[in-house]
Amino acid sequence: MNKLDVDALFNVLGGEIDQACIRQDSIQNEVVIEIPAEKLPEVSSILLDQFDLYHLSTITAEERTGDPDYLEVQYNFWKGSGLTLLIRLEKDSPVLRSLTGMIPGADFYEREVAEMFGVRFTHRAETPPLLLPDDWDGDPPMLQKEETK
Amino acid sequence: MDKMNIPIGPQHPLLKEPLRLNIEISGERVLGGILRLGYVHRGIEKLAQTRNYNQNVSLTERVCGICSHVHTTTFCRAVEALLGLELPERVHYIRALMCEMERIHSHLLWLGILAKHIGLEMVFMHTWHDRESILDVMEEMSGGRVAHAVNQIGGVRFDLDEDHGPMVDSTVKKLKVDYEELLDVIEHDTTLKARTQGVAPLSTDDMKRYCVVGPVARASGVDVDMRRDDPMPPYDKLDFQVITHPDGDAWSRTYVRLQEIRQSLHLCKQIIDDIPEGPISVRAPRKVPAGEVVMRSEAPRGELFYYLRSDGSDYPARLKIRTPTLPALGILPEQLSEIHIADIPVVLAGIDLCIACADR
Repeated sequence: MNKLDVDALFNVLGGEIDQACIRQDSIQNEVVIEIPAEKLPEVSSILLDQFDLYHLSTITAEERTGDPDYLEVQYNFWKGSGLTLLIRLEKDSPVLRSLTGMIPGADFYEREVAEMFGVRFTHRAETPPLLLPDDWDGDPPMLQKEETK
Repeated sequence: MDKMNIPIGPQHPLLKEPLRLNIEISGERVLGGILRLGYVHRGIEKLAQTRNYNQNVSLTERVCGICSHVHTTTFCRAVEALLGLELPERVHYIRALMCEMERIHSHLLWLGILAKHIGLEMVFMHTWHDRESILDVMEEMSGGRVAHAVNQIGGVRFDLDEDHGPMVDSTVKKLKVDYEELLDVIEHDTTLKARTQGVAPLSTDDMKRYCVVGPVARASGVDVDMRRDDPMPPYDKLDFQVITHPDGDAWSRTYVRLQEIRQSLHLCKQIIDDIPEGPISVRAPRKVPAGEVVMRSEAPRGELFYYLRSDGSDYPARLKIRTPTLPALGILPEQLSEIHIADIPVVLAGIDLCIACADR
């Protein structure tokens, strides 16, 4: 297994994406790159085509209590070690372009993020429920506040 | 010929756990299928935010009824990484021993189900008999057959006593003999070969595009195993092979899993021989410092992914679990396309479904 060459990746991203990508060390065991939502298809295409980084482990979304106006969406890739693309979305209108065109395996992950966090994915077929009942009409469950803590 | 839709599930004799599959057929030919999950969704990720870290060890153990131990291992490793704990070597060996025994019994369970689906009742009886001997050892060591409750944050709850080593040793010896008989059946039985060879083949590219992991991907030539490629201790010190096969059909999936049983038996023996003396836990604080971590392990069905974020309290702020069954289910509609209707059970069994895992 050839590991991801992180320095080479940043050279390419620096040249082609300019200043939009910010390297972070927020997650242990992962290289984290924060990118704007509109750059997701472009960066993903570079990962696949130039670095053979085809394996998307999952898509993780979360709401941060310290930052209530935003959702964070992580695209957790792996090639010998983890690489996370981190995107911040405004919670009022969370929209992302689907990656199912280039990574069909992203389908279930996008559907789960759509139903659990209310993120809308464009450039793909509709996102039918994956885990929730067909007649679910409540708010996205992961955004509901619990009082049990 | 007219097309027809056949609903399978959520409750169906073919399925051991609930999911719904709407299959479109034309005569005896399957054109495709649409999958629906969620019948055993328990909201575990949300629930985890309302449990403290120690309670979450028990919660994550219940994500899956087959590979429960690897879930708690991955969760505890994530918490321990945030706590910055250095664990005694003996802890890693005990965890790995349980992981490998879990892999053996999971693969044997799967092989039995496949054999039953294609009418090989004797293979079903033999594999489940062998599986019992592994479950007996796990029960003797931990007290539990399904939920072993081995892990705690900072170590493990029990130590191996003087009887456990010989018990594992004799079970490994017995299973190695039985394994050769099973391998002979897999390689030479005409019925099994007729029902599995050439059925629903998937290419390496298909597996990569759908991000499939574990034995299903390895049976299509994807040479990835987290134990070797992103190892947790002590796998970096142990000797084992990653098994792959190029054909990608149902037979290859059978062959890969069977060879993995041999590797796991080999690993169990090494662990028992090499396990160092020492303590089995270190003290862990209840509150976990703020931070984020991703942890990956090789579960019996492939890469298991945990993301954990702590806000500094004794409750997780976010726990994300991606089980290996989920991507394998994603490629199921593709596998069902253009197969014979009688091959549906073989295809469903071939990917080793664990719906409870996928639904969480």
